[in-house]
Parts: sequence; structure tokens; C-alpha cells
Amino acid sequence: MTSAGDGNTTVKLPAEALQGQRTSSAYRLALGDAGVQAAVILFLCVLWETVTRLDLVHPFLLPPLSQVLQRLWEDILSGTVFVDLALTLYRALSGFFIAAAIAIPLGVLMSRSAALRWFFDPLISVGFPMPKIAFLPIFILWFDIFDTSKIIMVAFSCFFPIVTATFAGTSAVDKWPVWSARSLGAKDREVLWEVVLPLASPQIITGLQIALPVGMITTVVTEMLMGGRGIGGTMITAGRFADSVGVFTGIVEIAFLGFVVIRSLEYIRGRLLVWHPESRR
Amino acid sequence: MYSPILRYVPLLLMLVFWQLLTVSGLVPPEMLPGPLTVAGALWDLIVSGELVTNAVRSLSRAAAGLVAAIVVGIAAGLFMATFRPFRLLVNPIVQIFYPMPKSALIPLVMIWFGLGDSSKIFLIFLGCLLPVIVSTYNGARGVNHFFRWSAASLGATKWEVLREVVIPAAMPDILAGCRTALAFSFILMVSSEFVIAKDGVGFLISSLGDSGTYPAMFAVIFTVAAAGFAADRLYAAFARNQLRWREP
Amino acid sequence: MTMAAIQDRSHADSGTGIVIDGVSHSYGSRHGSGVLALDNINLDIRENEFHALLGPSGCGKSTLLYLIGGFIPIQQGTIATRKGKVTAPGPERSIVFQNFALFPWKTVLQNIVYGLKKQGIGAAEAESRAREFINLVQLKGFENAYPSQLSGGMQQRAAIARTLAVDPEILLMDEPFGALDAQTRRVMQEELRAIWQRSRKTVVFVTHDVHEAVFLADRISIMSARPGRIQHVIDVNLPQDRGEEILERPEFLELSERIWRLVREQAISASRGEH
Repeated sequence: MTSAGDGNTTVKLPAEALQGQRTSSAYRLALGDAGVQAAVILFLCVLWETVTRLDLVHPFLLPPLSQVLQRLWEDILSGTVFVDLALTLYRALSGFFIAAAIAIPLGVLMSRSAALRWFFDPLISVGFPMPKIAFLPIFILWFDIFDTSKIIMVAFSCFFPIVTATFAGTSAVDKWPVWSARSLGAKDREVLWEVVLPLASPQIITGLQIALPVGMITTVVTEMLMGGRGIGGTMITAGRFADSVGVFTGIVEIAFLGFVVIRSLEYIRGRLLVWHPESRR
Repeated sequence: MYSPILRYVPLLLMLVFWQLLTVSGLVPPEMLPGPLTVAGALWDLIVSGELVTNAVRSLSRAAAGLVAAIVVGIAAGLFMATFRPFRLLVNPIVQIFYPMPKSALIPLVMIWFGLGDSSKIFLIFLGCLLPVIVSTYNGARGVNHFFRWSAASLGATKWEVLREVVIPAAMPDILAGCRTALAFSFILMVSSEFVIAKDGVGFLISSLGDSGTYPAMFAVIFTVAAAGFAADRLYAAFARNQLRWREP
Repeated sequence: MTMAAIQDRSHADSGTGIVIDGVSHSYGSRHGSGVLALDNINLDIRENEFHALLGPSGCGKSTLLYLIGGFIPIQQGTIATRKGKVTAPGPERSIVFQNFALFPWKTVLQNIVYGLKKQGIGAAEAESRAREFINLVQLKGFENAYPSQLSGGMQQRAAIARTLAVDPEILLMDEPFGALDAQTRRVMQEELRAIWQRSRKTVVFVTHDVHEAVFLADRISIMSARPGRIQHVIDVNLPQDRGEEILERPEFLELSERIWRLVREQAISASRGEH
């Protein structure tokens, strides 16, 4: 089995599960409306401050924006916000990259070897839709509560979407470009690196784009459960001490982090896929 | 192609491997109880009724949050796609919160609703809402205008075009978004019960872990995983049935 | 084949079908600084005539058709039918598109019934009429098939049936056979001409295929590109009954040759204009 794409793959579920998942990258702000949208955000901020100042909502339920920003500023001055952001980012990205380093080669190998496909396909298609977070206590049991178990948990969550997308992508590569490369004298290895992987890259990147948010969700939960700082840890402490300003500050921070991380991945996708029709919009 | 039974042989092999690993004594039994021990613990949990009560609590929360998110999300997504002022108003909010890890809302719902049911239902609602809104919006915006024009030239009104053309044409996207939401509902259900709960499967898992009854903990974990898998398979079958028209 | 469903209008007077008066249209900008797609189009399409709009790609022929259909708003000029000025889509001006004509989530029967129900026809009657039209386009046995299960030619037949079933006064066709293979195309052209012979609807047929236009139409408007203008309107003086044999006739070949030269001129000047 050297050529990918003889079609008879046994995974049906994941490929189908990936449909419509490109939405995260397809959902874009219409640039012409950017001014209006900025105005809306500004308006919402003013509204937030006004309703809290007028005591329309209890300050515990919704603290004034100014207090949240003040806390954020203090955290920036003291540097704690950077520690938390860095820890969360480190855990999320470590797990994500470990997962990618295992899942992408495995997905490629599965599309090329019938034996590997036979063995891993059912395991992956059963594992894909499971709520992986439920396994967290097992990882705590095995690896204790420090970074190792957090990162392994994140990697475990990220693994399934990436391997599924890679397998689906590399199996579905058209035979025409592969045949063209062959007829031009490319060897198997060259076909893989120069034809199959580039053609499958949109799907693989889609898998990464599904995995990364899942990894971030998982990171935050592990931090909430096991402590060890990070935004999740700091937020749950604030929650337990009924420090609502702290909770809202955490939300601002994590929203910022999520936005930056996910937009960066979208940007990387655009740079890597300049050749793809999707970039021409 | 393999027969369904042959297909799941690798899963069976993993179980056998697991059993051999524990019997061999290579791993301490308190770190990894064998599958037969876990099955025994599962049976005890079922007989005592503990598992069923907690599962019902958890699933009813997940279902309440998910159903609310699907209803509100589809309506909002369609409204965004068809009504520009609403789109301009809602879009920035969606843009900001869509990439946010939804589990970060756990402390927020704790502050708003305490530790009871409503906090978890609201968390699941918020977490599932955005994928449904975004996929419905994308689906409805992406409907080929020739479909809408065909219906209009046959005499359909604007409302009829929305109901009879835009919604069915966007259905593949809407269903995909709901599937993501279903997965999120399980993740958030378990996570929130780990962090803040007095009952439910997540609470059961963590309390069994705290008391060191690991076979039972493993049993509940595998039950939750199996439930997530089963829910996804059922949903996939439903979705495929809805989209029969796409199959050649 | 059942024809009861199609009203015989062959005896009707050939008055005016569609009056296009001073229509211009530009894309890209609301303030006219965009690309001028149509420039001051004046054209009278007679009632019950088969009129082809022929031109190179990008000449705005589809745009003109969409304006007649009422799908895109008219920027300048007016288009009027017997029902008055065109402002929105309506069932008296029904359309067949090149692709995406049928609703893929409905079966053939459901697609045709859909249009009939929109005319306020009850379910039972709509279904029996739909079946007549399915027979007319020779799709008996495929009533419950989804479009994805049919070949391209069968899909277009079903789409034509759906459009004919609502009995529009004007039938708009946007390169309906453009996506079909050559053989299917030929068969569909003959069938369409035969159906038109019996129903005598006003047809506006957009194509870039000279032979198709000459074979099907009574009159052909040849359009130029950038800006889209009507350069010539040519009468096709061929017998009303047209079968395969007409393709060999010297007058068919001569006319095709003449029109081909005119279209070629437009295409060449259009491709020069691009640079």
C-alpha cells in the first residue's frame, strides 16, 4: 500500500464529524463593517459601566468595568497576569504540540498501511467522540497533580481530532496529482512530502484548529481542579473567595489569550495555504 | 472492508492486554485495576442505584443546556444571517467570545448561580450556544442564491424562502454545529461537576477518587466515555437520516 | 405523453412579451463607478417567441436575464411585461438555472409539487399535475429520486418540468444545458423545442453556443461585452418544426456561420478590451 486514496477507508464517522468545522476559520469580520463593530463594542463597554454605576445590577454579580480594568492594570504592574498567561499558554501548547507530533505521523501511516489502519481506526473512532476530560482523575492518579498530568491530559484531548483529520486528509488525496508526480519520476518518499502532505494540509490544519480550542478548554479545567496557578487556577481561587472582580478579570485575560492564539493559528493557515483557493477571498 | 465484528477486534485486544497487564503484576492494582474488577465495580454501582441517579442528574442538566442552546443558537444564527442590524450588533460579541475557552466560565456561573443545577445548565447553554450560532450563520449565509431565486420565481414569499429554502439548505451546517455543541455539552457537564457539584457523574468520579475506590472510579469514567460515544453515534444516525438527500 | 396540463396558446396574438427600455447596470459600486455590465439595453421580446440572448462570456446576458426575472434590482431603465413593471421575482416569469436548479433536499415529485403549491393549488391536485409533467419530460419512475441520484440531463428535465408546471407566461432559461455533455445537450434541445412548440410560451434563453441559439430560437440578440450592448437582432427563418435533420440544412449552416462571425468579432474585441 503505497498510494494514499484508494478510498476504502473504514473511518466514516470522523470525516463526517469534521464537516462544517472549518467554520472557525471561515467566520470572519466583514471589513467594511469594522467601524460599526468597534462602535458596538465601545457601546457595550459604556453600557456595562453605566448599569453598574447606576446600581441596576448588584456589583457582586457584575462589577463595574472600571474596577475590572483597574485590577487588570494592577496585575500587569505586579506581573502576575504574565505569569498566569504564560503558564496556561505553556501547558496548552505543550500538550498541543505533543499531540500533533504523535497524531500527524500516525494519521499519515494509517493512510498508508492497512495493518495500522485495521488496528487504530476503531480505537480512534471510538475515542474521538468521548468526553476525554472524564479521564482526568486517572491521569491525576498516575502522574500526580503537577504539570505532567496537565500536559498529558491536554495532549490526550488534542490527539483525536488531529489524527482523525490527518488520516481523512491523507486518505482522500486525489490520485491525479500523485500519478502526475510518479510519471515525472518522484519516489514514494518524495510523493509523500511533496504531493500528499501539501494536498492534505488544509484538512490537517483544520484538525489542528479543532484541537487547539479543545486543548485550551482542557488546560483551564485542569488548572481549576489541580491548582498550580495559570488563569484557570487563579480564576477558581477568585471564585471560591467570592472575588467577582477577580473572576471577571480572569475572563478578560482568557478571552484575550483565546483570541490571540486562535487568530494566530488562522493567520498561520492563511500563510501556509496561499496556494489554496480558500485564500483567494 | 471488514465485518463489524472483525472491525472491533482491536478494542478487544486492548481489553485482553489490559487484563494481562494487571494479572502479570507489572503495574500495581491500585494504579490500574483490571477490566474484570472494574466491571464488577460497575455492576455494584448499577445495583446500588448510585450510578443511575447521578447519571440522570448529569444528563438532564446537559440536555437542558444543550436544547436551550440549540433553539436559541439556530434562531440567533438565522436572524444574524437575514437581518443586518442584528448581525452588526451580535457579531462583535460572537467574535470576542467564540475563541474563548468556555470552561473559564465555570467561576462566573458559580458567582451568578451558586453551586446548584442552574449554574451548570447555564454554563452548558453558554458553551454550546456559540458553535450553533456560528455554524447556523455560516450555513444560512452560504446558501446558494440560485436556490433562493428559484423559490422566489415559483412564487415563494420572503418568509417562505427562509423556512423552505434557507433552513433546509443550511441544514448540513446547522447539524454539524449541533454535533460540536453535543460534544461540548459532555465536556462542560463533566468539567463543571468536577469543579462545583454535589452530585452528578463528575462529582461521583471525583468523590470515588478522593476515597480511593479506584475500580469504581474507573467504572464511572468508562461509563461517561461510553455515554458520550453513544450520544454522538445516535446523533450521527439522526443527522444522516435528516440529510438522506445528499447521498447519491 | 400528456399535454392537457399545458395551455395551448399557439393561437394567441403575438403582442409584446417583454419591453426592455434603457436598461443599464453596473457591478462593484452603488455609485456607478464599478464595471458597466449592461449599457442602455433596448429590446422588445415578442409574446410567444423563443428569443435567444447570445454573446461571449462576460457580456452581461445572464445579468439581463436576472433583471427580467426581478432577482436583482434594476438600477436604470425599466423592464415591463403584460403584468406591469418588473420589481420582484414572480411566478409569471419562472426561471431554469444552469446548476442548482432543483432543491437537493426534495425529491423530483416534491420539487415540482413545491412550485404548484406556491400557486395555491391543493396537495392532491398538485401531485397529479406534477405527475403529468414528470411524464412530459420523460422522468416516469424517478418521482421519488433525489436530484443527487439523477444524471445532469435528468436533473435539468426535472427543473424544466418544475418551471413549466407553474405555467409561467414567460420562461427564463440561463444556459440550462451548459453543464451537460454534447449528446444529452442535443437531445434536450430537441425536447425543449418540441415542448415549446406545444406550449408557445415566451422564452428568453441565454447561451453562448451559436448552434444552440440557431436551432432553438426564433430571434437571436447578439450581445457585445464590456459594456454589454445589443449589437444585432437576427431573425431565424427556419421551419417551426425542427428536428435533427435541420442541422444539415444549408440555411441552418449559413445562418450559423454568419452569426458565428458576428459573435467572434465581439469576443475578439472583448478580449482586447481586457488589456
